Amino acid sequence: MISWPSSAAYRIALANFAAYAVGLVLLGAIVFATTHLVFSRQLDGMVTDESQELQRSFANGGEQELAKEIAAREASKSARKMGYAVFAPDGRRLYGSLQAPRPPTGHHSIIFHDPVEGKDEAHALTVDLSPRDRLVVAVDSDWFENVQNIVVLIFSFAFVGALLVAFGGAIVLGSYLQRRLNAIASSAEAIIGGDIRRRMPIGPRNDEFDQVAATLNRMLDRIEGLLDNLRQVSSDIAHDLRTPLARLRNHLERGVDEGGAAALLSDAVRQVDEVLSLFSAILRLSEVESRETRRQFTDVDVTSLLTELAESYAAAFEDRDRRLLWTIEPNLLVEGDRELLAQAVINLLENALRHTPVGTAVRLIAAAKGRSVRIDVADNGPGVPATELPNITKRFARLERSRKTAGHGLGLSLVNAVAQLHDGKLIMSDAGPGLCARMQLPRPKASPKSARAA
Amino acid sequence: MNILVAEDDDDTAQFIRRGLAELGHEVVVATNGVEAMQRLSRAQHELAIVDRMLPGLDGLSVVRQTRTAGVDIPILVLTALGRIDDRVTGLEAGADDYLIKPFAFSELAARVNALARRKPAPQQQTELEHRGIVLDLLRREVARDGAPVQVQPREFRLLEELMRGEGKIVTRTMLLERVWNYHFDPQTNIVDTHISRLRSKLNHGGKPDLIETIRGVGYRMACGD
Repeated sequence: MISWPSSAAYRIALANFAAYAVGLVLLGAIVFATTHLVFSRQLDGMVTDESQELQRSFANGGEQELAKEIAAREASKSARKMGYAVFAPDGRRLYGSLQAPRPPTGHHSIIFHDPVEGKDEAHALTVDLSPRDRLVVAVDSDWFENVQNIVVLIFSFAFVGALLVAFGGAIVLGSYLQRRLNAIASSAEAIIGGDIRRRMPIGPRNDEFDQVAATLNRMLDRIEGLLDNLRQVSSDIAHDLRTPLARLRNHLERGVDEGGAAALLSDAVRQVDEVLSLFSAILRLSEVESRETRRQFTDVDVTSLLTELAESYAAAFEDRDRRLLWTIEPNLLVEGDRELLAQAVINLLENALRHTPVGTAVRLIAAAKGRSVRIDVADNGPGVPATELPNITKRFARLERSRKTAGHGLGLSLVNAVAQLHDGKLIMSDAGPGLCARMQLPRPKASPKSARAA
Repeated sequence: MNILVAEDDDDTAQFIRRGLAELGHEVVVATNGVEAMQRLSRAQHELAIVDRMLPGLDGLSVVRQTRTAGVDIPILVLTALGRIDDRVTGLEAGADDYLIKPFAFSELAARVNALARRKPAPQQQTELEHRGIVLDLLRREVARDGAPVQVQPREFRLLEELMRGEGKIVTRTMLLERVWNYHFDPQTNIVDTHISRLRSKLNHGGKPDLIETIRGVGYRMACGD
């Protein structure tokens, strides 16, 4: 699925291998240089020691003693291939068997003729014993070169071995990474292909890939939930719009037949307004659910907001032969959006006003309880059957008996969404008798209890 | 009044133009933001109605640049969006009022009237008077024909808004915005509820009703015949 040069897995594995190879080459170079240095010093030391002994012989016994010493050493053969020679100033070899031209004084590499191996390289120290005699002590550096060759050989083998291991590792690691990623990619492809219920496979090890897969799965669950919701809402909208639009159509048709009577037209406008208000309710609901409005949250004085609301609505309750009673604790604060909170409470109040019989008393109670603020709207009306309670906050949920009253069934959905936007919740319960709607909202973190002043 | 309408939707533009023309205004329509900007900078208009989404240069930019250019005529912004923070951004850009589409023409007309009155800035008033009703803005007291009338603070604010309307219609939505500071439409008509209480207090003892209801739109102070 993914080609070789573009595979990140292989690239990473091969880069890892390259770094390893560079390190190995560096290590080899260091070992080589160190052995070279150590062995050169050792050879220097060997020829220096030997030369000094012979110089002492010369000092003690003159040329004869020196010649004897050299002959003895050459005969012993115990020493590592040391060569000796004493040269006259004219380049003639006086003693010793080292076959080489007369070298200058000091430490030098010289080429000598080995009777067995032919031309060979040796490490030599040359000193002048007297104006006549120049002593050369040389040691064959063959074995030293051999050691260095072995070092190079060992490292070459190690390098090739490491190359093979690392390269093999790169292929194994690369194909492993690719296999894991392909599992995720093929699930994604399946989802793209329409199988939206498909999820990423999760292995038993809970490694990085499994964690990413689990996160992706949670994201997919969320998206699927949103899609379901969207599908539900669109079909609800289509359904809920058909009724008023069909009514409107009938009206307009009658208007055309009757020559556009003014009353019919204004009726039609009213019906269009109903549809439009349904639309704005849907838009507002989805806006609240998107949580975008959290950006402009401020501290809202719930006490004054609710008091104001209660005073404004008491008259409306009275006009409809119901009563609104309120008990609101002072200094209630919630971090949120004032308008949305007001709209939520208004929806609860209007719900109580619309779905209760004449004579009902509705209580608005707000109090701090622990870490939250509770806003209760409770009535003593007929209430809602326990089986219906979980459903009444759903979109377009309307109890059978309220089908004929005004309203679009989005009021409580909005209250629910507003509560959730504020990290709170809406709890519907039986007030025995009646219905109790409780908005439970968290209090601000640093609750300014001392902010008692108005 | 000479009004510029910046609106790219032809039907809406004509709907507004015809309506305003019937009220006696001269209306010029600009169909894109650049044209609107050019016309506004020539400073021959007394009021502008600007759609938020215009081709070329969007409505908010038109408002912002108009203000930067030092043109301080009243501007009303129209929008089809109606999201919660749209109103705030509109006002922050320098608009004076904000109306969400679709709207009833009566609503637009009332707001245009209100904006027209707002200019020039009224001198610091301490008292409003209309046919015997006197509002003391400092003491927050109401009197009718010299006799004090006890009203609630919210009723006082309602009456104040109607009196400032100087006989022009003040819509329910405008009252909700100004008195309650709500920018949404509750289903229950709390404006009507409170107006009816205010009315009964003002008309106590059989005095004639001076608050005129415009059905489906709002209220205005009744003028003398």
